[in-house]
Amino acid sequence: MIDACLGSQGAKVVVATSGDEEHPPENITDGKTNTFWMSTGMFPQEFIIRFAEPTSVFAVTVDSYNVKHLKIEKNATQNVSQFEFVAEKEFENTEGHLQSNAISLNGGSVTHLRFIITAGYDHFVSVHRVSIQN
Amino acid sequence: MRSFELQSKHTFGNYSCLFFYHPFFVPWYLVCVGDAAVGKSALSHMLHSDGTLLQKNYSMTTGVELLMKCVNIPETNDSVELYIIDSAGKETLVESCEKMWGEPSLLCLVFDLTSEQSFANCSRWMERVHAHCRGLPVPGVLVGNKLDLSTRREVQTSVAQEWAQSQGLEYYETSAKDMENCDAPLLSLARAFHSLYQERRETIQNLSPG
Repeated sequence: MIDACLGSQGAKVVVATSGDEEHPPENITDGKTNTFWMSTGMFPQEFIIRFAEPTSVFAVTVDSYNVKHLKIEKNATQNVSQFEFVAEKEFENTEGHLQSNAISLNGGSVTHLRFIITAGYDHFVSVHRVSIQN
Repeated sequence: MRSFELQSKHTFGNYSCLFFYHPFFVPWYLVCVGDAAVGKSALSHMLHSDGTLLQKNYSMTTGVELLMKCVNIPETNDSVELYIIDSAGKETLVESCEKMWGEPSLLCLVFDLTSEQSFANCSRWMERVHAHCRGLPVPGVLVGNKLDLSTRREVQTSVAQEWAQSQGLEYYETSAKDMENCDAPLLSLARAFHSLYQERRETIQNLSPG
């Protein structure tokens, strides 16, 4: 099945708290791990992905660097508001190569997923790809 | 949780959807510490009021004042929004103030050039700040203030310079009263954090896949 979390499938990052022009948030949904979005300031940092249509999500895989703690929220409305908590995870520090973490989201239909990075192993963190399993 | 609340307001406001394309919109914490009466507040306000500031400061009642300022990073097209945390220096207030520091990205340690004691206490301040930094490098400056009171000077430049160097800090002397050299420490900090960002970005670009 094609990953619904791809820009080419209509998924879109609609909010991002940092925006280095050379590393824009669209890099999260381009399906590649050699492009990335990077935070430029203090924590927490977050981004929100909107799916083209309500999508049931059983798990997400996040490829990142220097992320220490990630919290995921979801909603099933057309607005970017009223999120409910679904999962959180402490990532391991991986010096020199990317972190890749699968996080179970127990199904259910979502229109937005909100990723909140509450802490990092450095002042700056990067997110290279988010893919979903449904 | 304070930082989270501030950030949320920034992030959402009344909009349902928005992007921040300004590279360094996300603020950095600059914690301004040092003994009482060395001129931290005067200096912070100086930095804050040179005409480029965004009018959105407010006072907290707990002995910490938060000032926000947008600084252009020299030799680049980038600018950074700094949250300057002006923390009370009085010993009895320090503990409650420390809780408001969060995890600082930048440090401005101020002492009074006419007070040997305020300089001697700088090591204590360093320890306190480091305890908040989880081992991350925090670019910082040491600022000797009250340069205008030259006849009452108790701390020599070379001594302060040497100590600053041993702590990995850049050293500056300022007079908040005469507005002398006041933006130098701030520009130095902005430059230092910006190069840290560039360095990290390069590291990430060269990472191998997981």
